[in-house]
Amino acid sequence: MDKDLRKLLAGYVDGELTDDEREAFEKELQSSAELRAELEEFRKLKEVTGMVQYADLPDEVWESYWQSLYRKLERGIGWILLSIGTILLLGFGLYHGLHDLYIAPEVSIWVKIGVTALGGGVIFLLVSFVRERLFAYRRDRYREVTK
Amino acid sequence: MCTDAALVMDIKAGNKKALGKLVERYKKLAFRMALGLVGNKDDAYDISQEAFMRVYRSAKTYDEAQPFLPWFYTIVANLCRTWLQRRTKQESRMVGIEDASFLLVTEGTPESKLIARETIARLREALMQLPFADREIITLQHFRGMTYDEIAALLNVPRGTVMSRLYYARRKLATLMRQSDG
Repeated sequence: MDKDLRKLLAGYVDGELTDDEREAFEKELQSSAELRAELEEFRKLKEVTGMVQYADLPDEVWESYWQSLYRKLERGIGWILLSIGTILLLGFGLYHGLHDLYIAPEVSIWVKIGVTALGGGVIFLLVSFVRERLFAYRRDRYREVTK
Repeated sequence: MCTDAALVMDIKAGNKKALGKLVERYKKLAFRMALGLVGNKDDAYDISQEAFMRVYRSAKTYDEAQPFLPWFYTIVANLCRTWLQRRTKQESRMVGIEDASFLLVTEGTPESKLIARETIARLREALMQLPFADREIITLQHFRGMTYDEIAALLNVPRGTVMSRLYYARRKLATLMRQSDG
């Protein structure tokens, strides 16, 4: 059977074929039992999908949709500023805490770089971890559920 | 009434009220598109909100000569695809559509409704086993009730491609339904 003609099956079931396409398809349909069986299967499928629709959300959720989105937008900016501020302050504290180490001439430059990288890494990971925990907590729909 | 493109231009200029208008216009559509693709109401809600945040952040990349809806749909579909990939990795198996995401709209006796519910349960499972592109085309046509021309415009593909994608997607869905029937 012509492969292109077979693809018209979807359009036939949905009533989306042009007159010429429909005519060609129906001609093929008369001569092909296989195509008729497939058509039947597609019709049943359409019947099943026609029995259902996707659920909607309650009205109050739609009413507060924009407020909820607006808060997320504002919080996004807040989180970025908070993260930058925390990293800067902790970095500044780290620098002052290790000031003596940095100015000591007998300490190798590699040790200084290593300690700085280590401290920086700890700060980044800490900020990232705290953010993730807070984010997970805010998204936890079951936090009110007691065990 | 402002056109979608005009609203996105205002968003580009940092106008959050314009985003609010766009949200009112498309929030339900965004949610339903996402629900069809991820099959979970809570996640579809989050994805729809994230999609609007992306519109706000990426408004500068929008070409006002192009229609808004296909651009927006691409954002929603990409977010759904990422969500499903992450979810599949986490669960390392298929994601099931939650029961509450489907509503039975058929009339009938309690017996016929019971049979319908069982059939729908199989449909639900089969749908989530389909590859993303197949589920996408079926959702748009069957559950959103869009015409082939509308789908073609939304996905930016020729009408013939819509028909052939629907044909293959339905064949796979019918096979999966048959398999689950035993």
